Amino acid sequence: MALLTLCRVNVCGVGLQKSVNTRLRNTAGLSLLATNGNKDLPGGRGGRGSTFRKPRREAGEPRTEKMSEDQDWTSVYTASAPFRPGSVPLPVRMGYPVKGGVPPEKKGNLELIKIPNFLHLTPSAIKKHCEALKPFCTEWPSALDTDAKCDEHFPIKVENTDYVSAGPSVRNPSARVVSVKVALSSLKLNEHARKKMIKLVGERYCKDTNVLTITTDSCPLRKQNQDYAMYLLTVLYHESWKTETWEAEKTAADTEEYSWERSPSQRNILEVLARGGGEGEGEGLREELLGRKEVQEYRDSVTRLKNQGENEATVAQYKEAVKKVLSL
Amino acid sequence: MAAPMAFRRQLCYSARIFRGISHLVPRASGSCSGRSRYDSAKCSLPLTSSTSFHSASIFFSPPSPITVTEEPDTLFQKISVLVKGHDRAVLDSYEFFATMAAKELGITISKVSEPKKDIERLTLLKSVHIFKKHRVQYEMRTHYRCIELSCLTGCTAQVYLEYIQRNLPEGIAMEVKKIAMEKVPDHILEPMWKDEPNQKPSQ
Repeated sequence: MALLTLCRVNVCGVGLQKSVNTRLRNTAGLSLLATNGNKDLPGGRGGRGSTFRKPRREAGEPRTEKMSEDQDWTSVYTASAPFRPGSVPLPVRMGYPVKGGVPPEKKGNLELIKIPNFLHLTPSAIKKHCEALKPFCTEWPSALDTDAKCDEHFPIKVENTDYVSAGPSVRNPSARVVSVKVALSSLKLNEHARKKMIKLVGERYCKDTNVLTITTDSCPLRKQNQDYAMYLLTVLYHESWKTETWEAEKTAADTEEYSWERSPSQRNILEVLARGGGEGEGEGLREELLGRKEVQEYRDSVTRLKNQGENEATVAQYKEAVKKVLSL
Repeated sequence: MAAPMAFRRQLCYSARIFRGISHLVPRASGSCSGRSRYDSAKCSLPLTSSTSFHSASIFFSPPSPITVTEEPDTLFQKISVLVKGHDRAVLDSYEFFATMAAKELGITISKVSEPKKDIERLTLLKSVHIFKKHRVQYEMRTHYRCIELSCLTGCTAQVYLEYIQRNLPEGIAMEVKKIAMEKVPDHILEPMWKDEPNQKPSQ
């Protein structure tokens, strides 16, 4: 502690002395703080006491002169430290150059001190650190080398985010958000359960990738959100297997996909063909009409049009099918 | 004369490293991983004199071995580390450090990308009073760097992320997006009401 206080005083003294010297050089007549007399009469100032200054020591040569080429750099910069021009044996220059000159040298260069340096993380230092950290790492199981295998054995993906930043608080409220993704094909669902599940979750299901995403952020802690998401998944699964009595009232408008059976389109086409043919035999004619190839093509094209929306391919296919059915 | 101060700083830093891995003491970093029950390798750093921490001999705690518990380790399919900063050169150096550390620890790096920088500009009045026509403009540039790692175990992820985060330079922020894989839990394997198709309507 004593060393430190002395060191600080020494630094102060040096600075003050320098400023005093310059002032005396510039303004000859002014006699300022008489601290210049300090060096000459250390004993004489003993009476005043508080402004005693130690005699100034010369700064030795910088450490860079004594550094060898093959030294261990990790012992010079062991941890994150500001840039010390006397410890870094590189002729670094940084800053905006003077007009017609070069960027300022490293001695007393504030720009080099301001910028974060990575002198403590040289490749040899990183290797040493990793050697020490290796015993704490575990191997990835070799059986799970492809994505497909991972999805097969571990279909549920829990996604969460951590935030690291400097600020008044260490916590970040966005860190509590949890997202659980499941591929529906990995859950055991029959047709009815699958359709009901998709209807229950609504927006959270992506048809293209067949993935259900449940994002929770209503609880204040991440663990609570994770538990809540798993609870939601469980409830959805079990509820979708149940069949309520009011589900029998499902109309054609509620179905997810268009089905041609018992639709106005089927009725119309059969009517048209029956009238065109001329023979009215009821059931037999109906079966025969349905079995015909053109009618089946017509059915496929109408289903495709309704399910996939209107684009060039579907409309063209519908046109061809209609032409064939009505033999135009 | 600044040597004693630097030495003390090194001591404190090394002390944090020694204690940090087992207790995850948050320094100024905001990473809170609440998954302590999956700590499959409950570690306390052994005192090895071959490490680069020269102040190792100062500590007198006895060397304790690495304990391995029976709990299953979490498996991370992907870990995406996004670093944000105002200075592109610092991010370049940090990326070099992070990728090298990952290679040394045997972690597969799937992608290292640089998303486009964001510039937020403000236009303010130059003068305190009147002179509306004279304005001054400031801008804040945020550069990004994204490092995506794939197929990590929980222990490796913990070690790597802590190492990366302790050496995060000042003025750089980080977001870590982790995707953990889990098995289907037991209560979702079989439906409870499969055998009773017509249930009473629930409340």
